[in-house]
Amino acid sequence: MKSPRTLTLSTVFASDPFEPGPKGSRAWYKLRQDKAGLFGLAIVAIFLVLTLGVFFGWLGQGWSVAGGGRWEPVSVDHWLGTNLLGQDIFQRAVFSLRTAFEIGLVVSLLSTLLGALLGVLAGWYNGEPGRTWVDGGILWFMGVLDSIPFYLFVAAVAYALQGWPWAMHIAMVATFWTTTGRLIRAEAMRIKSREFVLSARAIGLPTRLILLRHVLPNTLHILLVQATIAFVAAIKTEVILSFLGLGVQDSVSWGLMLAESTQEVLAGHFNNFLAASLMLFMLLLGFNLLADALQDAFDPRQASL
Amino acid sequence: MLLALGACDGGEQTASLEGSYTVYRHSMDGAPSNLDPARASNIYANFLVVNLYDTLYRYKYLARPYELEPNLAEHLPQVSVDGLTYTIRIKPGVHFIDDPVFREGKGRPVSARDFVYSIKRHFDPETRAEGAWLWQNRIVGLDEWKENGADYKQEVTGLRALDDRTIQIQLIAPYPQLLHTLTQGFSAIVPPEAVAFYGKELAVHPVGSGPYRLLSFNTASAVMVRNTGFRQEPFSLKNEGFNPALQSMYGLEHLEGLLPPFMDRIEVEFIAEDAARWNAFIAGELDFVKAPVSQFDQVLQSRDPPMLKPALADDFHFQASLESGFVHTDFNMDDQRIGYHPDPGQNARNKALRCAITKAFDWEKRNEIFYYGMGQVFAGIIPPVAPEFDPDQDKTAISRDLITARHLLRSHGWNAGNLPDLEIGFTSSVTERQMFEQFRSFMADIGYPRDKIHPLTFATYGDYAQAYLNREVMLMTIGWTMDYPDAENTIQLFYGPNASPGSNTANYNNEEFNRLYQASSTMSSSPIRTTMYRKMNRIVIEDCVTISGISRKLILLWNRDLAMLPDRSFLGGHFFRFAGRGEIKTKNKARR
Repeated sequence: MKSPRTLTLSTVFASDPFEPGPKGSRAWYKLRQDKAGLFGLAIVAIFLVLTLGVFFGWLGQGWSVAGGGRWEPVSVDHWLGTNLLGQDIFQRAVFSLRTAFEIGLVVSLLSTLLGALLGVLAGWYNGEPGRTWVDGGILWFMGVLDSIPFYLFVAAVAYALQGWPWAMHIAMVATFWTTTGRLIRAEAMRIKSREFVLSARAIGLPTRLILLRHVLPNTLHILLVQATIAFVAAIKTEVILSFLGLGVQDSVSWGLMLAESTQEVLAGHFNNFLAASLMLFMLLLGFNLLADALQDAFDPRQASL
Repeated sequence: MLLALGACDGGEQTASLEGSYTVYRHSMDGAPSNLDPARASNIYANFLVVNLYDTLYRYKYLARPYELEPNLAEHLPQVSVDGLTYTIRIKPGVHFIDDPVFREGKGRPVSARDFVYSIKRHFDPETRAEGAWLWQNRIVGLDEWKENGADYKQEVTGLRALDDRTIQIQLIAPYPQLLHTLTQGFSAIVPPEAVAFYGKELAVHPVGSGPYRLLSFNTASAVMVRNTGFRQEPFSLKNEGFNPALQSMYGLEHLEGLLPPFMDRIEVEFIAEDAARWNAFIAGELDFVKAPVSQFDQVLQSRDPPMLKPALADDFHFQASLESGFVHTDFNMDDQRIGYHPDPGQNARNKALRCAITKAFDWEKRNEIFYYGMGQVFAGIIPPVAPEFDPDQDKTAISRDLITARHLLRSHGWNAGNLPDLEIGFTSSVTERQMFEQFRSFMADIGYPRDKIHPLTFATYGDYAQAYLNREVMLMTIGWTMDYPDAENTIQLFYGPNASPGSNTANYNNEEFNRLYQASSTMSSSPIRTTMYRKMNRIVIEDCVTISGISRKLILLWNRDLAMLPDRSFLGGHFFRFAGRGEIKTKNKARR
């Protein structure tokens, strides 16, 4: 946003509510006042640090080693005990963070990007003579995808592509982008009638540049919130798919740990279940608090209050 | 004749034992996908098929070791002196169930021609049958009939109906297991009218003459109700091989003289998830369960001998027995990365690699973790339940030996860098995945890099089976339930000509093994044949074709107010007709 080329028209219409600079500052100020949001941010930060520890090979690397006895209790050697195979539950729970963040990041980035591109195209061409088919086509496509029950669709895609390591990612991206797409479409429809966009069109700036420099940047607040929501949803979905055996195949995930625990709980062993559930709960809590706080911080209606 | 008189005498007692509508609720850990006998290729389908259709023979309900018993056949067959011609008479007056496929919807009598037709179907490519291997190259003219276009009007020399009730089978060579094959769902008798009427829908519209008829069937459950027209044959403990010393606690005595089937309705729930199945049983929603291994701790007072905890013993009957089969992990010998290789040097290296993997496999741990230490580990491919099993066999092949394993790798030039990537196939379930992880940890002990051992997962067993039948799986774990009590049934799993898509999923092909198999396949049970079987067993062990094996201990529980002895062995299911409500009542009334 600090590119001089981007500022050319934004500076002319500095009072525009969609101008990002002052809004970003206001948002950050509001976020700092939101205690729940900061708490969420702290949780996310802690999990992020742990995840980086896993990525760099400092934590959780022994998740697959069956070094203990069957269902050993909590001890100095095994902080959360062991599972049926004698694998360390703490290491598995921590390593699962990598799985969660990896899927969360990939899915949220791709689905947000796809939603943004298709949404902005649909919004831009809405009502444009001779080009309404773009909007119509994208809307129809979104409608088709949205009409299929979400988990059924994701499970079906994951099932159809099973064995392929990116099956789950594709399944989620294919469904998650539509919400972002609809929001961005609506926002683009509003932005395209703003003065700075009209000016850009008037001076003959190509559509591609108008969309990339003036419309999309002004939807960043939506994209940020949507990416956070998609991140959380992707992790939840991964856990569900892995629990069903359609998700992670050659690694460990909280979903797989929960699936294992279905047999262990009946036999009176709860460590796997508790470790996976609590980690998932805390991560989702952190991201949900953060997403709420971001939404409040970037909401123009809240800003005017 | 005696049977007919008995039937008249006992007719009043058929409706139910206690004058009320009786229901037996069975559970299975998998679901059949097809109830067409020609496609009843798994134990789940067989359980239903043998109750919906008739087979010529079955096993005596209570006799152990198993003994053949005429079912639809009137007697055991007349066999010619050379062992090549079997003449079988079927019982008179047996009718198919009433169904729209018949004229005026009334079931017509079952005839010998129906049996001939049913076996021919297996050789008709349009049927896509899965049981033809039982009679392939066995019956005179049958394989030629298939090659000539499978025209049902064309007679097969070795498979004929001499009249309405007489079947004659002529064999190419003696086939001692023939009668065992005629106990299986594959050999169940189907009326041609039903095939013509329902076509592929026969999979869900069974039209047979068995003790039950189908009321509903889906992926979650099947409901069968009594076939009221089923032949009336009084239950005889003596005839069924009752052993009072071992079986008196099951309350079977009061069934004497009654007319099977004893239950008005059989509900079979297909619940793959162990926890869900167990919970349903404990909640009183099921009458029978195969206890999941994860529950053995809660169920058993002691492992050896297996004893039920007193709290459960009050409510349930229980039986602990070795399965009639085994679990083994085969190398795909068709895969040049680990199996046969045209270069003799690489071939020898591959064999060393297979042997090293086999040596690194820890059977003791596998048994302890996944089978509660109650399975029986044995070397090779003749499981303990087979009469030809050698209890004094050499245990070296199933003893973990990491030093030898590492030496084999080193001496054949294998190291962490050049070891091939291993792909282990399995269906995507919790237990299978844990077994995979355990396998990977075993291999880590001989220096097999973790990132070179990959899961190859499949959503359903059907997908998995299709992949290994297409020779696409490098290492595959398979559970085999014996079709009949003869080790030939497991040895044929490694017979060269049976390679995939046949039953030899390892695609093993050893000349000496094949020669011995061919020679023994026409022999009746004898010490010489047993010696040959054991020699074949050793050949398979020495070639390191399979990591084998273990026979699991099955813990079966059923309500104490049931008078029955359930059986999963040898493609069971016939026992449904003998399941009755007993005189002994459960102490826990809340359960019912």
